[in-house]
Amino acid sequence: MRGLRGFLLRLVGSFRKERNDRELADEMESHLQMHIDDNLRSGMSAQEARRQALLKLGGVEPTKEIYRERRGLPLLETVLQDLRYATRTLRKNPGFTIIAVLTLALGIGANTAIFSMVNALLLRPYNFPELDRLVRVWENRGIEEGADARFIAPQDAADLQSGAPVFDALATYKCGEFNLNTEGNVQPVVGCHVSANFFDVLGVSPALGRAFSATEEEPGADQVAVVSYGFWQRRFAGDAALLGTVIQMNGKKYTVVGIMPRGFDYPVPMELWVPLALSPAEKTDRAKLSLESLGRLEPGINVAQARSAVDSVSRRLQQEYPATNANRRTEVLQLRKELYLYTLPLFLLLQAAAVFVLLLACANLANLLFARIFGRQKEIAVRTALGAGRWRLARLFVTETLLLSCIAGVVAVAVSFWSVKVLRTSIAPSWTMWVPGWDGIHVDRTVLAFTVLLTAVVGLLFGLGTVLHSSQAQPYTTLKEAGRGPMLGSKGRLRSALVVAQVMLALVLLVCAGLTTQAFLRLVDVYQGFQAANVLRTEIRLPEKSYPENSQIASFYDGMLRGSASLPGASAAALVTNSPASNVDNEATFFTINGRATAKASEAPSADLQISSADYFSVLRIPLVAGRTYTFADNANAARVAVISRSMAARYWPNGDELGQQIKLGASDSTEPWMTIVGVVEDVRQNWWNPTNRPTIYEPIFQAHQRSMVFLMRVASNPEGYASAVRDVVRGIDDQIALTGVGTLEKEITDSIAIIRIMGVLMALFGCVALALSSVGVYGVLAEGVARRLPEIGVRLALGAEPRDVMKLVLGQALKLTGIGLAIGVPIAFAVNRAMSSLIFGIVSVNLLLLAGFTLLLLLVALAAAYIPARRAMRVDPMVALRYE
Amino acid sequence: MAQKKDVWQGTLALMVLKTLDTLGPLHGYGIARRIEQTSGDLLAVNYGTLYPALLKLEQEGYIRSEWGLSDNNRKAKYYKLTRAGKKQLEREARDWEQTTSILARFLAPGEEPS
Repeated sequence: MRGLRGFLLRLVGSFRKERNDRELADEMESHLQMHIDDNLRSGMSAQEARRQALLKLGGVEPTKEIYRERRGLPLLETVLQDLRYATRTLRKNPGFTIIAVLTLALGIGANTAIFSMVNALLLRPYNFPELDRLVRVWENRGIEEGADARFIAPQDAADLQSGAPVFDALATYKCGEFNLNTEGNVQPVVGCHVSANFFDVLGVSPALGRAFSATEEEPGADQVAVVSYGFWQRRFAGDAALLGTVIQMNGKKYTVVGIMPRGFDYPVPMELWVPLALSPAEKTDRAKLSLESLGRLEPGINVAQARSAVDSVSRRLQQEYPATNANRRTEVLQLRKELYLYTLPLFLLLQAAAVFVLLLACANLANLLFARIFGRQKEIAVRTALGAGRWRLARLFVTETLLLSCIAGVVAVAVSFWSVKVLRTSIAPSWTMWVPGWDGIHVDRTVLAFTVLLTAVVGLLFGLGTVLHSSQAQPYTTLKEAGRGPMLGSKGRLRSALVVAQVMLALVLLVCAGLTTQAFLRLVDVYQGFQAANVLRTEIRLPEKSYPENSQIASFYDGMLRGSASLPGASAAALVTNSPASNVDNEATFFTINGRATAKASEAPSADLQISSADYFSVLRIPLVAGRTYTFADNANAARVAVISRSMAARYWPNGDELGQQIKLGASDSTEPWMTIVGVVEDVRQNWWNPTNRPTIYEPIFQAHQRSMVFLMRVASNPEGYASAVRDVVRGIDDQIALTGVGTLEKEITDSIAIIRIMGVLMALFGCVALALSSVGVYGVLAEGVARRLPEIGVRLALGAEPRDVMKLVLGQALKLTGIGLAIGVPIAFAVNRAMSSLIFGIVSVNLLLLAGFTLLLLLVALAAAYIPARRAMRVDPMVALRYE
Repeated sequence: MAQKKDVWQGTLALMVLKTLDTLGPLHGYGIARRIEQTSGDLLAVNYGTLYPALLKLEQEGYIRSEWGLSDNNRKAKYYKLTRAGKKQLEREARDWEQTTSILARFLAPGEEPS
């Protein structure tokens, strides 16, 4: 207690210096006077009285010193003093301060912005309790499927739940669209059929009302719904009376029993959830991977343990049910990791680039600081001579650099509140709505902590660097040299090393930036094999209840296609299961070639399956390579036909004899009908992340009916203007059917690569910054070097050197430093280049031209930066230069 | 002239407290003189060192200070014992007596502790 009281008083004392000093002086003065009075009384002369009193009191200054140390907190006081001094020094050199702060703020701000993305998207995409225990579970059929196809057979899921004792619970779900009918007005809503334990597994309960009970999983008892907060607000204006009301969807009546809290959107932003009520036959189905599944692991079980547990169940099922499960493996992946499988490397790349920018900024700042120390060597020498200890000097420098980096950090944070918001809002919501966590990108506590840490590390490192750098100063030599300073000693070497490092960093960053920007520019071209201009795109779904028969589906689609194609300005209309650039992989399937049946079902070849109407190829202008495409005549009554992609033909019929061959879907024992291959079309790139052309089978829609399709229509111009006309056509056939996702195919493509685009822009920005920083750095070092060597240059000139030689000297030094930097940088850049081309899904290949170009660019920039000091050196007047001696 | 002993830190505080206890409020000069006189001029208080010690005691709350007028009308800072100071004095005095008695027994010639 006493200690604390003393500390507090001393803390206060630290800030009331002058007053306290005066008080002590007064007290000592009165002490002295009393003593003198006493001495006078005892008969001393006035002079002797004063002398004795002073003697007795002892040294006044040491006493004051001890008293002061006792009064305040000396450490705090010197820190305050250093801080005041640092502020004064920084204020005295506004140019230096502003440049240093901006440079650092740029570096720190870049890192803060990128980290805010990483933080929101990778570290906490969902706000579920104990997110790390949530895993996605799915079955791999042993064929090369699109990575998005993560499904499981209902009975297999049930067996996993009971057979692998690692799950707290395993929920299953199936998402799709519902047609919501509000007073005759039909609107599509996205929703999910979920098992009753779905919300428990996620660990989120409704904000109002209740979740589903197990009895509601039975067909017939399943007409209850839980709605999202957004649905409640948008469609029912947040009226709590929604609970218990009946809404009509797909011709059925559902009672709303619960409302989820705001921000709950799993698996994607959903409007409602209804129970997953499977019939007994559906429940025991093993053949079709029809459900998605999500498990919560038992506490203490890690993913590896879960994997081995489900593996053993999987193997058992393989043996017990070879017909369906022969080659099935069960996969387990943490929910948190699932989302960013594709983009994780890109984020890491961005963060690495941001770190590079910071390093470059640091190198530049180091240059500035070291140059400044050089200018302050006399000051340091005087301080040392006056008795400032090394530790005390070190503290002074660290305080200065810490203050600098703190200001930079504050600027960076202030700007990042704005820049992070720009980052968040600059991408189309139509894309970001599919990115869980995107709306959570903001500067939160984690991001701030990251920034503070970064700032502190940078400040301390600089401080230490400065201290090491300055501690070489010998007061005697420095004072003797009277400001001339050594020529190019070890300090020159350190600064040269900085230039080398800067050139190297800049090269690597430029190459990365160049590659990513190039990737962005070329990404649109990635979607090859079709033409996206002037195509309208929308999705459509026919509810099972009103379209139970294939003939009904066929007649609806037939009417829709004919009606749309006859609109004025429309040249063709088509339907397809999955349009290009949808960011969803095609469904993969086994197939069997007639006459080449494989012995084991699991060894059957696989391909992507697309079901389309006849004009799909003409709408997207996919070139026909051989044979014919199918027509409206290839309907349910005609012989079954198929069109295949060029890569499929090349892979299975390398001799070019594919036309007329027969294939069927499924393994050799499947009961699917044989289809005759009638044509071969050019390969179509489905999604940007998959660089290889997958073998694809196209089936005519009237031979393979599907309720959920993408509608595409080619028009002369302005495709968006046709949206209402198409809606009218659909309404004319069935006013209960709604269109969703209406837009142009070109926009779909642009949106699908939004993430790459923003990364390309950021990388390009980083590249420009790198170029600017490194050229400033090279210039700074050379200009400083020339200034320091002026006397030497003067001597050279006086001894008869030509100005040309001087120019050569300076440029030569620039070339040497840049050359070394490039020599180190090129192999690194080459390696990074190689690594990146695999990261960006083959969109970018190792680009030697780019590497050579940037090497040359940096060389030129360095020469240009060297030219200015070189000119100055050339014009040195020997007399003026020598006068310094 | 006999060599005067320097006052070592810990005991100075005790002496200050005792002085203030005995004489009541007193200024720094007075305290210094009193300590010197009581010790029979055997202790030399370097008067300057007294002030940091006074400050420490004040910070710890054992004494309080106040500006006042001395006997011959000079402005002086007077120190006064607080209640906490009084307690501290008792405690310290007890400790000190204990220490000295132990040392005395130790140093007493020839006597075995029983």
